[in-house]
Amino acid sequence: MPIIEIKSLSKVFTKDFSNKKIEALKSLTIDISEGEVFGFLGPNGAGKSTAIKLMLNLIRPTSGTLLIDGKPVFQKSVRRLIGYLPENPFFYDHLSAKELLWFGGRTCNMSDALIEQRTTSLLKSLDLFDAMKRPLRSYSKGMVQRAGLALALIHDPKILILDEPMSGLDPMGRKKVFDLILRLKKEGKTVFFSSHILHDIERLCDRAAILINGSLVRLIDVQKDLPSGKTLEEVFFEEVERSGGLRE
Amino acid sequence: MKGILSLASITFKEGIRNRALFGIFIMALLAFALTMIMTSLFMRDIVRVAASLSLTTISFSGLLMIIFIGTSLLAKDIDKRTIYMVISRPLSRAEYCVGKFLGLSYLIGVSIAFLGIISSIPVIISGIGYDNPLAIFNWNVYFIAILFIAMKLLLIASVIIFWSAITSSSFISLILTIAVYIVGSTNEVVRGFLDQKMEGMNITPLMAGVIKFAYYVFPNLSAFDLKLQAANGIPVSAEYFVWTSVYGLVYISIMVSAAALAMTRREFP
Repeated sequence: MPIIEIKSLSKVFTKDFSNKKIEALKSLTIDISEGEVFGFLGPNGAGKSTAIKLMLNLIRPTSGTLLIDGKPVFQKSVRRLIGYLPENPFFYDHLSAKELLWFGGRTCNMSDALIEQRTTSLLKSLDLFDAMKRPLRSYSKGMVQRAGLALALIHDPKILILDEPMSGLDPMGRKKVFDLILRLKKEGKTVFFSSHILHDIERLCDRAAILINGSLVRLIDVQKDLPSGKTLEEVFFEEVERSGGLRE
Repeated sequence: MKGILSLASITFKEGIRNRALFGIFIMALLAFALTMIMTSLFMRDIVRVAASLSLTTISFSGLLMIIFIGTSLLAKDIDKRTIYMVISRPLSRAEYCVGKFLGLSYLIGVSIAFLGIISSIPVIISGIGYDNPLAIFNWNVYFIAILFIAMKLLLIASVIIFWSAITSSSFISLILTIAVYIVGSTNEVVRGFLDQKMEGMNITPLMAGVIKFAYYVFPNLSAFDLKLQAANGIPVSAEYFVWTSVYGLVYISIMVSAAALAMTRREFP
């Protein structure tokens, strides 16, 4: 049984005053197996973040179904299985990374001792240990991103949903996140992540989906299906051109 | 329950470390010092004046705190998308509202307790050198008045939660909360004018209906104002204490429940 089942998922946003409808996601169907690293590709406005927000029940589908571990995503117990990193995470300014992770652990019913142990190991592996008592507002963008990753991982979730985890990171920061995803893959976690950095997706993912204007245009087994001599980047540009570019 | 309490805890920490709170505390301490100076200008009723000014300081500082820090703790969660971090955890939207309210309540409780204890200093000091200065003063009533200020602030906090749940801008939440505060502080007086039917007053049935509607829908904040009783040592009846507390708690429950309902239906694109 797939750990993430997305069937005919659509989302239409209605603008407040003009009543104009925007179809952000059109009948998306994807199954993701346990232990798979799945990349979500697409230009800005393609519907990647919309799909991710639907998985987290931050927004609700207009039609279609979305099951995680066989349960509908509106059940709060589902979110115990998920670690989520939003695109450009914002945290409380005056909290420290240690307090942030304490909050994350407590919401998942973890004991204080286990939270302490996980916090130490995560912050050490993400190079935040020395800054763990500093307020988050004093962190650089890369540090905030890594603190967000630590929060996503504190409860040792089965599934990681990462929205642009490499965005805004310097090369060292990117390498850290890259290595972390590799390590999670080895641990058998399911990782679903969106990124604009196609080279990273090519190296990390088992499969990738290309989304353009809210529609799934291609599902690729990255390790087997890439046409010989072509990179994922070339395939991606071909698909964008074939689908007639981007809508406004 | 662990989730709600942990959210309440981080809400409290975020609020107590806010620099605006230190500014408000410093302003309150200066006002208490000013109270001691001002009462030295009076020849009689010194303690009464000191108590009244001290309670006014607590009430005003609490109001600033709840309006500015309360709004930043709640509405900005939605404005800045900090809410993603919270509701992507195994917490329901209703638990989010309750956790935020509890955190804000804890902040109000600690701040008002601190200001309340400090406020007793000008009351004691201003009476020094006078014969039996606390003769008509009743500390029980004074501390009940402080408790009611805290309850009024909790009620305003629940109003902030409600507006934050249904609007998408912290500025709109702030404006609407201030509007509720103004109407809530004056609706009893306006209703009093309506009931007295004074000569020369020409109130149309529509206006009377609007006033009655506002009286029942908006919180009656003047019920929590016991400055007069505290300054004059007039005891507060047990009945008044209980029914006003019940009124406050019921209003708060309605506001937080309505906020939870609105949050549950809301999307965060």
